[in-house]
Amino acid sequence: MSTQTTTARENLNYTQTIGMIAAGGRYQAGRGFLGPYSIATSSDGRIFVVNRGASRVCICDLEENFIGAFADGPGSGDGQLNQPTDSAFDSRDRLYITDEALHRITIFDSQGTFLGKWGEKGDAPGQINGPSGIAFDSEDNAYIVDQHNHRIQKFTSEGELITHWGGMGDGPGQFNMPWGVTVDSQDNVWVADWRNDRIQKFTKDGEFVSSFGESGEGDGQFNRPAGVAVDSEGYIYVGDWGNERVQLFTPEGKYLDKSRGQATLTKWTEQFMDSNPDERDTRAIANMYPTLPDHLNDPYRASSQTEPYFWEPVAVHIDAGDRLYVTESRRHRFQIFERA
Amino acid sequence: MGSGNGQNGGAKDRNLVVLQLGGGNDYLNTIVPYENGLYYDNRPTIAHDPDKILKINDEIGFRPDLEPIKRLWDEGKVAIIHGIGYPEPNRSHFRSMDIWHTAMPEEIGTEGWLGRVIRDIDPTAENVLTGVNFGRGLPRSMGLKGVPVASVGNLETYGLFPEMEDEYLRKFAIDSFAKMYGGKGKDAVMDFLGQTGASALKGADLLGTATGKYKSSIEYGDNPIGNDLKNAATVMFAGLGTRIFHTSYGSFDTHSGEVFKHDLLWQDTARAVGDFWDDIAEHGMDDDTVIFMFSEFGRRIKDNGSGTDHGSGGVAFLIGNSVKGGMYGEYPSLEEKDQIEGDLAYNNDFRMTYSSILEQWLEIEAAPIVNGRFEQFDLIKS
Amino acid sequence: MSTSEIALMAHLMRRAGFTATRDELETYVAGGYEARVEQLLNPGDPEVIPDDIIRRVHFSLDEGPDGAAAQWMYRMITTKNPLEEKITLFWHSLFATAYSKTNNSRSILNQIEMFRRFSLGSFRDLLVELSKDPAMIFWLDNNDNHNGKVNENYGRELLELFALGIGTYTENDVKDAARAFTGWTLGNVDYMAVKANKDSFSPYGRIAWHFEYRPDDHDDGEKTFMGETGRFNGEDIVDIIARQPAAARFVSTRLFQFFAADQVDEQGEKVIEQMIQSYFDSGYEIRSVLRTLFNSDFFKSEAARFARVKAPVELVIGVIRQAGSYREPNLGIEGVSSFSYYMGQGIMRPPSVEGWHEGEEWIESGALLERVNFVAQELGNTSLPGIKRIIERVGAENGGTLSPIEFVERCLDVMGPIEVEDETKEVLVSHVARRGDIDLRDESVHDESTKRAGELLSLIGSTREFQMA
Repeated sequence: MSTQTTTARENLNYTQTIGMIAAGGRYQAGRGFLGPYSIATSSDGRIFVVNRGASRVCICDLEENFIGAFADGPGSGDGQLNQPTDSAFDSRDRLYITDEALHRITIFDSQGTFLGKWGEKGDAPGQINGPSGIAFDSEDNAYIVDQHNHRIQKFTSEGELITHWGGMGDGPGQFNMPWGVTVDSQDNVWVADWRNDRIQKFTKDGEFVSSFGESGEGDGQFNRPAGVAVDSEGYIYVGDWGNERVQLFTPEGKYLDKSRGQATLTKWTEQFMDSNPDERDTRAIANMYPTLPDHLNDPYRASSQTEPYFWEPVAVHIDAGDRLYVTESRRHRFQIFERA
Repeated sequence: MGSGNGQNGGAKDRNLVVLQLGGGNDYLNTIVPYENGLYYDNRPTIAHDPDKILKINDEIGFRPDLEPIKRLWDEGKVAIIHGIGYPEPNRSHFRSMDIWHTAMPEEIGTEGWLGRVIRDIDPTAENVLTGVNFGRGLPRSMGLKGVPVASVGNLETYGLFPEMEDEYLRKFAIDSFAKMYGGKGKDAVMDFLGQTGASALKGADLLGTATGKYKSSIEYGDNPIGNDLKNAATVMFAGLGTRIFHTSYGSFDTHSGEVFKHDLLWQDTARAVGDFWDDIAEHGMDDDTVIFMFSEFGRRIKDNGSGTDHGSGGVAFLIGNSVKGGMYGEYPSLEEKDQIEGDLAYNNDFRMTYSSILEQWLEIEAAPIVNGRFEQFDLIKS
Repeated sequence: MSTSEIALMAHLMRRAGFTATRDELETYVAGGYEARVEQLLNPGDPEVIPDDIIRRVHFSLDEGPDGAAAQWMYRMITTKNPLEEKITLFWHSLFATAYSKTNNSRSILNQIEMFRRFSLGSFRDLLVELSKDPAMIFWLDNNDNHNGKVNENYGRELLELFALGIGTYTENDVKDAARAFTGWTLGNVDYMAVKANKDSFSPYGRIAWHFEYRPDDHDDGEKTFMGETGRFNGEDIVDIIARQPAAARFVSTRLFQFFAADQVDEQGEKVIEQMIQSYFDSGYEIRSVLRTLFNSDFFKSEAARFARVKAPVELVIGVIRQAGSYREPNLGIEGVSSFSYYMGQGIMRPPSVEGWHEGEEWIESGALLERVNFVAQELGNTSLPGIKRIIERVGAENGGTLSPIEFVERCLDVMGPIEVEDETKEVLVSHVARRGDIDLRDESVHDESTKRAGELLSLIGSTREFQMA
C-alpha cells in the first residue's frame, strides 16, 4: 500500500453558484442581481455584489441569504453610482467602489452607509479617466486602474496621490485600456492589461517585475483579460473575459487549468422554478450544453447559448478562505471555485 | 367607415382618455381577494396585509395606495371590469400590447383602434389635434395612415426646433419652415410632405397656446404620469377640440421586488388619476370625460419569491361621472382547476369593453373598429 | 471634376450607402463611377468600432431591442462599407422578424449577421440560411410544423412575402413547401418556446438560439412543388424557388424599389428586366443584380434622383455620418436608435412580417416633427467635426465673403449636392438675407458666422427635399 504524497492543488474545482436576475422596470428591488460587475467580501464573510444594471450593491452570504441592498441608483449624488466597475474592502471593512462614468471612488461602510468620495476627471497626475480596477495593499493604499489614461495610480485611502506609472503602449510597464488589479500577500501589484492580452506584475512602488500572456484562445493565452486574483499561496487566477473563461496559473505564471463555468441552479432560482412549472419542466428535458454550428461557436456566442458557461466574466475575487468568485455580468450570478 | 347614426362625429363633446399601464400590472395585487386563503397560499412573499385593504365588499378590495380611486368608487364613478383578456393569452409585452392596440388577437393587425376612432369622428382631419398622445412616438393604438396624431413628450417645448435657445431665431426658423412647406410641390410626394408639415406646424402652434391658458388649483405629483396627465388636462381645457387622449405609464413588470415597486407605481398612478379627475371636475368637464385604464396582461397567481412573472387575465377600469359604477365580468377563480397553466382565466374579451365605450360613450359604430360584433357591458349612464 | 460627376456620385452614395461627405465624394469621383460601384459590391475590411470596445463601454447592449439596434447603428455609422449595411438593412426589412414575439435580441442580431454574410451572394444560399435561422423559425412558427401536423406559416410567407409574390404559386405549393420544412426547428425548442412566449429572462438572463434539424419529425413523403415532384426537403424547395422567373422578378423588383425608386414606371420595368437577366446569368447572385441596377442609365439619370423618401434609419444614419458624431462609443447611442423608432422605424421592431411600408408611409405629422428636429439639431451642432468641415469648405473658395444667395448655394452644394425647388431656395435665401452677407474667414466675426452657418445647415435639413434621397 502506498501513502499518498502531498501534491500541489492544481485544478479549478467548481463548488456552487449564487444569484439570479432581479429585473423589471425602473426600480430594482428584492433578491437578485442585474449586471453584477464586482464582488468584495467583508471580514465577517458577507458578500457584496456591485451591480451595473441598475446601479446598486447587494449583500448576501454563502448560504444564499439575501441580506440587503444599498446605493440604489443610477445617480450622481453622494452615495449613488452610475457605472460602477470594481470594488474592494480596505483593512477597516470600508468598501470602495470605482465609477467609470462619474470618474470617482465612493466609500461605504459595511452596513452600506455613505462615508465619502474622491476623484475627478482628467489626465493630470491624481486625476482619473474611467477608473476600473481597485485593490488595497497591506498599508491600506489603493491602486486604481486609470483606464483611459492607461496607467496605475496609487493613492492613500483618503485619495491623496502617492505615485503613478504606466502610459499607453505594449512595452513592459505600459498599458492599453487596463481593467482589473489585485495585490497579493507580498504586496505585489498585478494588472489585467486588457487590450495587450497579458498580465503584468509590479512592486508596490510600481517597478515592473514580470509579465505573462499573449493573444489567443489556447491554454495560457488571453483574449482581453478583465480580472486577476492571487490566493494566499500565490496561485494566479485570470478572468479571461473575451474567451469567456477563467484560467489558473502557478505563482511563476505557468498554465495549470481552465474552466468555462458550469453554473447550476440556486435557492433563488429554485423558488422561481416552483412558481413557473412550465419553465421547470421544459428546462428539465433541454440540453443545456448544446452542440453549436460554426458561426455561433465563438466564445461570446457560445456563452450566449450555453447557460452554465460564464458569460462576460468581468471580475475574479479571492476571499479569506481562498475561494474564487467569478462574477458574470450577463448571467446575473457568480460561480465559486476552489483550487483542488 | 362612418358612424352608426349617419352623422360624422358621434357624440360631439365627449372625451375619451386612455391610460395604458405598461409591463403587465398585477391584477391580484391591485384588486385583492383578501378573504381567499388561496391568495395567501400562493403569494407567501407578496400578499397584502388584509387589514390594509380598502374593502369593496366581503371578498375583494383595492390595494393600499389606491385611496384616490376608492374615493371615486364610493361616488359610483368607477366600473371595474374583472377578468378582461382575449383568447389564447400571449405573455409577451410587445405582442400583447399590439393585440390591445389593434383589436386583433389572431393575426397581426396594422391599424390602431384609436386611429380608427379618430378617423370616424373626424374623417377629413379637419382638426389636426382630434387625437393627442402624451409621450413620444406614435402608439400603435393611434396609428392609421392619413390620421394626424400629435405625440407630445414635453408640452412646454413641443414643436419645431425645440433645441434652438434663442426664441427670436427660432421664430424666424419656424416662419421659414412654414413658407417652405406652404406651397405646392413639384409632385405628389412633395405635396404630401407640404400638407403634413403644415398640419404638424398647425398642431404645434395650437398646442403652444395651451400652457398659457391653464389655470388650476390642482398640484400633480412630479413624476412621469403626473406630468403626462397634467399635460392632457392642459390640452383638454384649452378648447382645441381634442377628443381622444392617450398616455402610458410603467413599467409594471414586477418580476422581482414587487412589494416595493408596485407600491411606488400605484402611489404615482392613483394619485395622478385622482388629481386629473379633480382637475377635470374643477373645469366642469367631468360629465363629458371618461378614463379607460388597462394593462396588456395580468401576472401569475403564484409568486416567485420576490415578485410575479407574466400571466394572463387582467383588470381594466372605466372612470367618469357618466360611468355606471360597479363590477363587470367575474372576479376570476384561484382554484387550480380553473387556472390556465397557472394563470387566471379571462372571462370577457376586451373588445366587449371597447365596443361598449365606442357605442355607448362616443356613439360611433363599433364593429368596423374592433373587427366584429361583441356583446357589450352596460357601462354608461343614459 | 465636374458638378454632374459629383452629383451622380452623391446619388449613388445616398442610395447604396447613407450619403457621403463632400471629401469622400471627391475621392470616389477620382476613381470613377464604375470603380466605386465595384468597391461597394466587394466590401473589404469595414474598420468599424471593435466589438470588445463597445462591450467595455456598454453593459449588455445587445440584451434588448433598442440596444441591439444601437449596436447595429454603430456599424452603420462607422463602416467603410456602407452598401454592406444597406443591403443588410434591405434583407432585414424584407425578411422582417420582430422582437415582439421572439423576445430575444441576441438571436435577431445573429440573424442580421447572417444576412450580412450572405447579403451579396446567391439568393438561393440566402434563402437556405433564412430557413435555418432560428429567429425566423420561431417568428413564423416553423417550430410548430411537424410531420403529420403541418403549420403552413413559414411555407406560405416564404412564397408570398419573401421570394415569389402572390399569384405565382398555388395553395398546394404552400402545403407541400410547408411539409418539406417539417423538422426544421430550434435546439431545446420546448424550453426556448416557453421562455419566448412568456418573455422570460429568468433565471439567468436570456438564452440565444440555434438551428436543429429533426429527421424523425420530417415528412419525407413525395411532394409536388411548382410543377416538380420528389421527396423534397427544405433545400430542394429553395432550389426550385431560386430558379423561378417569379423569384428573379420578385427580388429584382424589391431591390429596385429599395435602391432606385419607390414606384416602378415603364422605364423602371425595363431596368428590372435587365436585373432579371443578370440574376440568371450570374447564378442568382445579388451582387450582379445590383451591379446591373447601379450601372443602368435609369439609375444614373436625373429622373431617378431624390425619388425615394428616406427611411428613418437612412435619415438618421446619413445625418450622423455627415456630422461626424458617434464615431466612438458613446452612451448616448441608444438615444439614436430611439429617435429612429419615434420616426416610425424601430430596427428589430417591424410592425409585422410584411415589414415596414415605405415611401410616403414614412410621412405622418408626428414622425415629420421628429425627423426635422433631429436633423436640425445634429446639423446645427457646429462643434461636430463633420459640420466644421462643411463650414470650412463652404468658406474656402471666396476669399471669405458670401452673399446670401452664394451662401445658400454653397451650402447646398457641399452638403450634397442637394437640389431644391426655386421656391424653397428663395425662402432659404431670404432667411439668410435678414442678416446680410456672411464672412466665414474673418476671425473677428468667426463665432457669429459659424452660428449662422449652423442655422442654415439646420434649415436646409428641414426642407421637404431633404426628406428625399
